[in-house]
Amino acid sequence: MATETQTKNVSVNNFEQCLKCSICTVYCPVSAVTPLYPGPKQAGPDGERYRLKDKEFFNEALKMCLNCKRCEVACPNDVHIGDIIQAARIKYSTQKPKLRDMMLANTDFMGSMASPFAPIVNPMLKLKPVKGILHGVMGIDKHRTFPNYAHQKFETWFKKEAAPQQDQYRKHVTYFHGCYANYNYPQLGKDFVKVMNAVGYGVHLLEKEKCCGVALIANGLAEQAKRQGEVNMASMRKAIAKGHPVLTTSSTCTFTMRDEYDHLLGIDNHDVRDSISLVTRFLQQLIEKGEIKLAFRADYRKRIAYHSACHMERMGWVPYSTRLLRMIPNIDFVMLESQCCGISGTYGFKKENYERSQAIGEGLFQNIKEVHPDCVATECETCKWQIEMSTGVPVMNPISIIAEALDVEETRKLNEK
Amino acid sequence: MKFDVIIIGGGLSGLTASIALAEAGKEVALVSAGQNSLHFGSGSFDLLGFDEQGKAVSEPIAAIAQLSEKHPYKKVQDVEKLAQQAKQLLEKAKIATFGDTTSNHWRITPVGALMPTWLSVEGMVTVQEPNQMPWRKVALINIQNYLDLPTKFLAAGLRERGVEVDVKAFTLPELQALRQSPTEMRSTNIAKVIEQHNLIASVADEVNRLTSNDYDMVLLPAVLGIKSNAQADQLLQLIKTPANYVATLPPSVSGVRIATLLRKRFTELGGTFFTGDQVVEGVWEGETLKGVKTAKLDGTVLEANHFILATGSFMSRGLAADYTHVYEPALGVDVDDLGLDRTNWAKIEVTDPQPYMEMGVKTDANLHCERAGKTIANLYAVGSILSGHNTIKRLDAAGVDMLTALQVVHNIVK
Repeated sequence: MATETQTKNVSVNNFEQCLKCSICTVYCPVSAVTPLYPGPKQAGPDGERYRLKDKEFFNEALKMCLNCKRCEVACPNDVHIGDIIQAARIKYSTQKPKLRDMMLANTDFMGSMASPFAPIVNPMLKLKPVKGILHGVMGIDKHRTFPNYAHQKFETWFKKEAAPQQDQYRKHVTYFHGCYANYNYPQLGKDFVKVMNAVGYGVHLLEKEKCCGVALIANGLAEQAKRQGEVNMASMRKAIAKGHPVLTTSSTCTFTMRDEYDHLLGIDNHDVRDSISLVTRFLQQLIEKGEIKLAFRADYRKRIAYHSACHMERMGWVPYSTRLLRMIPNIDFVMLESQCCGISGTYGFKKENYERSQAIGEGLFQNIKEVHPDCVATECETCKWQIEMSTGVPVMNPISIIAEALDVEETRKLNEK
Repeated sequence: MKFDVIIIGGGLSGLTASIALAEAGKEVALVSAGQNSLHFGSGSFDLLGFDEQGKAVSEPIAAIAQLSEKHPYKKVQDVEKLAQQAKQLLEKAKIATFGDTTSNHWRITPVGALMPTWLSVEGMVTVQEPNQMPWRKVALINIQNYLDLPTKFLAAGLRERGVEVDVKAFTLPELQALRQSPTEMRSTNIAKVIEQHNLIASVADEVNRLTSNDYDMVLLPAVLGIKSNAQADQLLQLIKTPANYVATLPPSVSGVRIATLLRKRFTELGGTFFTGDQVVEGVWEGETLKGVKTAKLDGTVLEANHFILATGSFMSRGLAADYTHVYEPALGVDVDDLGLDRTNWAKIEVTDPQPYMEMGVKTDANLHCERAGKTIANLYAVGSILSGHNTIKRLDAAGVDMLTALQVVHNIVK
């Protein structure tokens, strides 16, 4: 009886397990730069006690939370501090998203509108007067430049150039490319296909892919995120039924679909979750098992600094990627100190967040400048924009580095048997 | 994934073992479930503060020889040598300390008590003898509205020992701004604000304005330098009177700095970190631990030749209890519960020696764990998870953490 009572006495998101030790505050990137944010302990478990009594205790300042989850990584007692804060925003916030927030949040809608006109849209978005209007009227900070839209979407390229050859492989995976690879940087998707094909895997796309919804959640559009999430889950179930694991190249899409769907949106993903993986993790595991081999170009040399994106850190998957990268023989590999870059998806694009965003990233930018790498490696596309804008150092997804360093012919031969 | 050694637990003991093994050329992985108790630290490392009769220890090596057989130090072969190594390990991680094993010095706690200790971080205030305070008159200078330095207690503690104390406070606009969120006016946020806004010179000006030659010591809250002690050193140089730092209530900036620098050292040595993850079960082959599974890595088994359990005591969830049993939750190794039933785990008087404090995992003379009564030859335990001592009553936490870790490294590497 007593044991039963004790086992039952577990609170949602472990909020009652908080010891009030304040370690989360030490690692909160927002608390470090602004006193206007109540901090993870206060915004999370402390505030939750009050909110449970009366929703009037909800504080709109919680929107300053980046949802980086570094508080959760630091918490010695496994309190899901970030989840508590985000769930409170979804449940209690009465602020309606602005037009700007809708635009930033609907990455796939914006992408599909802009892509066909990329040659016109891209230079326009770089014009000072346009930036001025975006800044003044829309509230999108003038320091930011939108990532270029690709004229040819990844999906279009794939269907035309790659899809016909995919059935010849014996083993198969499904690729969740995400908005970034599709609309902004199809090369990432091409790199993915190149590597997977070289190790003997055919690549397929989901029957229907929607944006994972991370930006929708952050911008107060949880309902829409949930609808999109259900579509993704349904398509993924079909792929998994065919025995195709679902692979991604973006850490944040992966984290959202594996963890936030269940924790924040109430989407039942338990049957799909384990089949969603990041490509670097998938490859690393196959290499460990001896199922595939990679051969690298002997002349490939680069000084690579690895940046642990917040959601990689939260998933606990950093070592998969770093061990994979370290297999490249002649690279010079440096681990950067794990800290937030400050962009947090659409957060840093907003005028009201710009300064805070740059102040948060300052430690990382300094670290990168000291290390002076040829490129920074990270799985997060928005970290890429932030780091490139703030340091001038090019940023590559680890799979693009693998693709660049790979001896394709030799790798194909090694994996033919 | 395969490593030479996997360390479970990222506190002082786990970090010490990881660094020492990486220095010895081993491929090491560290699995850590959240941050550690260094964050509540004092800026000092205790070796043995009080003997088993409760008497303050002045010569720790001699006192350690007198400890009962169940104490973890009895499994450390050469305490003096390993203590020296521990100090060097800290130094290589850029944590400069003073003190040695020949005689304890005394640190001052945030509530004004004096405690015997072994090593202290440069800049922290300490005294050689508790009954002979080296100062006539002290200025205790706080930052206005900073609540984690209980100045009244501190002043009372010093006055009791015959020191004249003036309590003063200063502020700067950037520090005052922190008050907008009172719960966030914490030591580490103060440290970050001072660093971001480059306020060292302004802080020094304020301190110099509040003090004069009349004081022979200025005490300041230890709220400077999360990543290095450069700023903390710089401030002391800019203050015209001799000045030192006094520990604050948690979070402890000097503790966070120690944790940060140790992690950095481990990373620079090529160690692999599994952060924010937790070992949930072992993969066994007879009496050998082949690998561990964690909460975040789904099916991936982390394999190694040797494993070190450094998950701490109840507070760090290295030990857990339900209504009937005390157990070790990660690998299910045997626990020494002192043969006590539930009603005798704790004493009613909170300041009495608490029996549960002495509980821990069972180990043999070489610090091997046991499982179902059988010794596990490739699994060791180090630090606070070890049974047989009361950390609070002995003041031996840091010493047990570091020395048992170094002993196990020696047992593995030899």
